[in-house]
Amino acid sequence: MVAQWCQWLSSTPLSTSIRQSDWWFSIIESVHVLGVTLMVGTIAIVDLRLLGWLLKREPVSSVTRAILPWTWCGLVVMALSGALLFVSEAADAYRNTAFRIKSVLLVAAGLNALLFHRTILRSVSAWDRSPFTPVPARRAAALSLVLWSAIVVCGRAIAYFH
Amino acid sequence: MKHTKPLTIATLTALLAALPALAHHSFAAEFDGAKPVRLIGVLTKIEWTNPHSYFYLDVLNAANGSTSHWICEGGGPGALSRRGWKRGDIKLGDQLVVDGYLAKDGSNFIDARRVKLPDGRFVEGGSPGDGAPGDRPSASAHGASAAGAAR
Repeated sequence: MVAQWCQWLSSTPLSTSIRQSDWWFSIIESVHVLGVTLMVGTIAIVDLRLLGWLLKREPVSSVTRAILPWTWCGLVVMALSGALLFVSEAADAYRNTAFRIKSVLLVAAGLNALLFHRTILRSVSAWDRSPFTPVPARRAAALSLVLWSAIVVCGRAIAYFH
Repeated sequence: MKHTKPLTIATLTALLAALPALAHHSFAAEFDGAKPVRLIGVLTKIEWTNPHSYFYLDVLNAANGSTSHWICEGGGPGALSRRGWKRGDIKLGDQLVVDGYLAKDGSNFIDARRVKLPDGRFVEGGSPGDGAPGDRPSASAHGASAAGAAR
């Protein structure tokens, strides 16, 4: 079912024109990497603050308030360019082990962030100025760093699986 | 809890340790620079695609009359067309002469470094800067083997 949809996607004019283009594929690929850099870089700043490794004197809420808009910018760039790259090789990506692992990890990272914002961060006023945040916050931060690192590694590894 | 920091460091270190193997450039990841090969065959399929192109050849074995199927990997459309190799330059049924290097896994798969097109032109088929033998002018130590492969 999914395989057939990916096959169909690969046969669309948009997919074919990116796949066979002289320049577009490389351009989209570069934009994707820049989007990932912005998103994962800004996420890492928040994670490191939660772990108490940097900006310890800054309240957590002011760090997240300053950083989050940039994370959203990175997410939009990353998601749009990533979608185009996927469209260009949907059938191959579907069969690719690294891509499959990356997809699962992306969902996990998204859920981790959602849970953190919906539960742990709700009580931020109680520990906003503390350099050491509660254990659940630090656990979410560590998990976020590990998941995003693994996602980047899997993304690069797609080229090495057939 | 103090346990999170060492755990995070250990995990990140493990991930970083896994990186060099993945960051290796494509030639060395899949192909053996010590195994040059020349294929002369009939083109059966063209994948003019990013990030690599693929050309499928039927190669006749003169000794026993059998045909073997080979896949040749080349650079992407942009890299190839900048060297003067346009998509319309080849069509199914054309005979190509491809000099390249065998895959490390022993399959009928090669990295196409130099391709003789039907119109008699020779073009570079590989990905630019992928570290294959003779890929950079400075790699003079490998120049001899690359020239040998071209013969």
